[in-house]
Amino acid sequence: MRKQLCLGFGAALAILAAVATAGANGRYIWPMPAWMPPPPVPAGNPMSAEKVDLGRHLFYDARLSRDGTVACASCHEQARAFSDGRELAVGIGQTIGIRNAPALANAGYVPQLTWANPHLTTLEAQALVPLFGEDPVEMGSNGREADIFAALAADPYYTDAFASAFPDRPVIDLFTVTRALAAFQRSLISLDSPYDRFKYGGDADAMTPAALRGERLFFDHRFECYHCHGGILFTDSQQTARNPAPMLGNHNNGLYNIGGTGAYPARATGLYEFTGLAADMGRFRTPSLRNVAVTAPYFHDGSAASLREVLDHYAAGGRTISDGPHAGIGAANPFKDGILVGFDASDAEINDLIAFLESLTDEGFLTNPAYSDPWPADHPARATRMMP
Amino acid sequence: MKSAYFAAFLAATAVPALAEQPVTLNFVAEIGGAAFDCSQSYDHLGATHAQMNVTDFRLFVQDAALIRADGSQQPITLTANDWQHENVTLLDFENGAGHCAGTGNAPMNTVITGEVPEGDYIGVSLTLGVPFALNHIDPTLASAPLNTTGMFWTWQNGFRFLRIDFAPAGGTPMAHEGHGGHSDHGNASGWYLHLGSTQCAAASQTEAPSACVFPNRTTASFTSFDPATQVIVVDPAPVLRDADVTVNAPDTSPGCMSFPGDADCDSVIPKLGLAYGDHPAEAQQLFSIR
Repeated sequence: MRKQLCLGFGAALAILAAVATAGANGRYIWPMPAWMPPPPVPAGNPMSAEKVDLGRHLFYDARLSRDGTVACASCHEQARAFSDGRELAVGIGQTIGIRNAPALANAGYVPQLTWANPHLTTLEAQALVPLFGEDPVEMGSNGREADIFAALAADPYYTDAFASAFPDRPVIDLFTVTRALAAFQRSLISLDSPYDRFKYGGDADAMTPAALRGERLFFDHRFECYHCHGGILFTDSQQTARNPAPMLGNHNNGLYNIGGTGAYPARATGLYEFTGLAADMGRFRTPSLRNVAVTAPYFHDGSAASLREVLDHYAAGGRTISDGPHAGIGAANPFKDGILVGFDASDAEINDLIAFLESLTDEGFLTNPAYSDPWPADHPARATRMMP
Repeated sequence: MKSAYFAAFLAATAVPALAEQPVTLNFVAEIGGAAFDCSQSYDHLGATHAQMNVTDFRLFVQDAALIRADGSQQPITLTANDWQHENVTLLDFENGAGHCAGTGNAPMNTVITGEVPEGDYIGVSLTLGVPFALNHIDPTLASAPLNTTGMFWTWQNGFRFLRIDFAPAGGTPMAHEGHGGHSDHGNASGWYLHLGSTQCAAASQTEAPSACVFPNRTTASFTSFDPATQVIVVDPAPVLRDADVTVNAPDTSPGCMSFPGDADCDSVIPKLGLAYGDHPAEAQQLFSIR
């Protein structure tokens, strides 16, 4: 155990060393309080202010899509903590996707991107899915990257920005584009909610009495919320630069139980899609609860419209669908996580829990100019861009 | 890379130099026996004799080899170029024009080129696929042809081995079985045949997959083949013979994209020489020689 810890510490030091030497202006300063360890940074993509700024421009640039209508921001809006308010994401040509667009606050800490894909362990790799995925089509850039890079090269901003961000490799290609997008997303740190100001900032008045009552319920054994939504980020799917290994929380929470077999809808089977193991049916990544009050609708398919609906779901220990092709008693799903036994709660207690969840909203994050759209309204990067 | 040079050095010094002979395998793409062309439409596809356009037609071939009279195989040492890397070749039959303007591009490749030691060869063997060691690399750093985004399958952390895409001719919309009011039913605009490895487990979060439950690589061998006078024909029509390419099974990927549990694959993947669910492998029918 000691050896493992030492190795982990060594790895963390190596990662921090890479950060410390990054960028033309030296060390990258993480926008976070000292008590929080930074997210892990892949050795091949050290952080720098220049790269983050380039990534921000790319994130909001709809020219990365086949028809110039979809940027990353088209499904990840800052005011919604970089989620989109829709049940399912929408790609070019109004193509309806098959997953709810996840919020991106603290995305660098997520060890397994999207809702349950064990192959997508870095933001660099994940970026290829919306860019080039065809089932469903999101940005539709499959086979079109040469045109896209040419369009970016014609923009004077990018000529300088790629050279500054990648002084050793100043080319516009898949490597640099995905690295810059990842660096920007890794910079999306949200740790300044009323809860943080109360808990870590010494501000005794930051949380309302209702939110404080809700906090006690959240960490109470009757509700068991914190079993999955634990830690600083309120999820058991997280990693930091100081972890020797990521925590990989994937759970079946009883949303479906089609025909009593435990089955989930065919195109949303969770980890099972990648492993084929029965026990992985319906297991999805536990999302962070930071900013959860502004990221409705909820769950991997956006099938809960409000926090109250989510809490009703957990109170019942699962969702019952009485008719239609998805009919079944989710609470009886044989692959459901054992901790989800349901609970009885008064309306006042539910209100307090919601008040607590609302205290996790970081208003500064939702309006931070460092994360906002850098393009003028009539700029080609956003002139035809669709927004949620 | 260093070790590869070292191995080449060892091979060069330890083995007496053998004369090499160049070899070119020529491929032609056909749809139901008619030459493939992005501007054409094709009749009589699948069980319902549908009229379809073909919007993409590309495949990776690995481990091409010539066969000796004693049955032993001589791997072809591939010529390194934009279409070939190590032991894999991208065959690209679409020219980015006509119906292929969506995902296609202008460059095409219809040959495998390389060399073998001088000798007598009577046949040819090839595998539809990308070698495991190359299939799970970082595609943003990959050499050609593994940097071809049209063949990326990043959701599965690999490449498509085969993509032949169909769309109904004349703008006929795709039909959808069993309408259930789900949002993904209306999305299919074509019928796509995509083959690749699925359910690939990794030992840890930071490693490429160590194995796949369904590697989905399929080998075709022809024991009488003369590269100088004969061609290898790639034709998906026999593979689709029993499939209805005008319909997409509900709640599945459009067409057959290799994922388990897609009724659209039931009759198709077996004809690529691979078992699928309860359906045993049949003789592969994608490749033939002429």
